Amino acid sequence: MDAGIPVLFRSYQSQETHSGCKIWEAARATSAAPTFFKHIEIGNKQPFIDGGLGCNNPSKLVLKEAQVVFPTHQIGCLVSIGAGQAEVISIGVPGFFQQIVPTHILDALKGISTDCERMHEDISLLFANSSNTYFRINVEQGMQDIKHSEWEKMANVEAHTIQYLRKKEVGEKLTLVISAIKSPKAQLMIEQFGINYFVI
Amino acid sequence: MDVDTAIGAYNNLAQQVFGDPKQWPGDGKFKATKLEEVIKSIVGDVTGNPEDPLLEVGNASISRT
Repeated sequence: MDAGIPVLFRSYQSQETHSGCKIWEAARATSAAPTFFKHIEIGNKQPFIDGGLGCNNPSKLVLKEAQVVFPTHQIGCLVSIGAGQAEVISIGVPGFFQQIVPTHILDALKGISTDCERMHEDISLLFANSSNTYFRINVEQGMQDIKHSEWEKMANVEAHTIQYLRKKEVGEKLTLVISAIKSPKAQLMIEQFGINYFVI
Repeated sequence: MDVDTAIGAYNNLAQQVFGDPKQWPGDGKFKATKLEEVIKSIVGDVTGNPEDPLLEVGNASISRT
């Protein structure tokens, strides 16, 4: 339950160990946001909470995993998709009847949006000399007032997303994303990043 | 599962899980049992078996989902 040590649920063979869990258990574990749902224990009584606490933007983890699985390959592109800005990813302070949530978890929640953007900056620097390889897509406006649990506001989410996608610069970015996925230039060897970048 | 199907499945999940909060919130505001039930139903619809393992065996390559 240490939010500082992310666990990867792999659906593919790897030299790394895997948890051997079921599909529904992995989905349940990644949804275990404190104050929303109780945690889940998988396998050897290992408790899990939602990765949003410690690893809401897993870009570096993805690169590290790619390095392990495809050590001799090149990177065609990396597409990072956000969940909107700031408050949309907050899960709120526990109510009166809630179980007491440790202060360090609340502090972690407050830092999520900052961490996401900091990670975006870090990854942008890694790819600074490799144009049109790293892309970040994130609905920047309008999602602030929509909480995780407000399922009835799905139409608002759709409207804000459509508005974002209609922006000229976003449209241009998406064209580049499509081109990078369909015919990657593969300018960077994965190993070029070096394992030292991946201290999280 | 294609994107439109996934969005539909999420809408249904969100409505069932968040539309029915616990009467007496304890360890979490929403019912984890309900969440598990809906997730298993989605997995069952796609793979045919709600208890399928996460790891793909055989020649399956890296998942594109």
